[in-house]
Amino acid sequence: MNFFEKVTGSDMTKQMKGFDARAKGLPADYQAAWEEIKSNLWLHGDFTGRNLMPIMDSALELLEVTAADGQRVEEVLGDDIKGFCAALVGDEGAKSYRDKWREQLNRNVARKLGGLK
Amino acid sequence: MENNTEMMKGVLEGCVLEIISRGETYGYEITQQLRKLGFTDVVEGTVYTITMRLERNNLVDIEKKRSTVGPPRKFYTLNAAGQDHLALFWRKWEFISDKMNELRTKEINRSN
Repeated sequence: MNFFEKVTGSDMTKQMKGFDARAKGLPADYQAAWEEIKSNLWLHGDFTGRNLMPIMDSALELLEVTAADGQRVEEVLGDDIKGFCAALVGDEGAKSYRDKWREQLNRNVARKLGGLK
Repeated sequence: MENNTEMMKGVLEGCVLEIISRGETYGYEITQQLRKLGFTDVVEGTVYTITMRLERNNLVDIEKKRSTVGPPRKFYTLNAAGQDHLALFWRKWEFISDKMNELRTKEINRSN
């Protein structure tokens, strides 16, 4: 990633386009699931969303492999896409910017309280 | 059995480790094994998030193999750290199930 890409996020746009092109090759119900996965994953993005790129790549890989098996998408993802996305992102996998703000807030409050004693 | 997802959450990783320890396998096969055992709620996506975590924690070795249809598949084998982790899982499991049975069958002495 060069400086231009870092600032503009053009590398991510390129990657997203690549992902969507791959998704186009999937069956229709898989494509719908992919859209849902994407919208659920954005919740876990950091400020730029760059942390999500490898995660999206692996989610798409799962869809590609299972679609080639001829499995129905419900068999693969069940009815809890939100839960799937949360598990995919993992405990330590990708902290969202909200997590970071929360941590910072907690730290500051703890420091203030410590100072009062 | 259905609708025990919450209870399963903590032990599913152990289940997957145990299945992988029996020999090289891949996602679909793991899911099928769990379903055959009676965990009918388990879907491949669930197993995938677990194998991903095992991979991230370096408990499994991975080999990508070409398949006749579609993209190459990931095959998993347990490495030494994975074996240790699995042994630890069974020790924890034994402790919990012992205590659960104790709670269910033995009388509890109240302190007053």
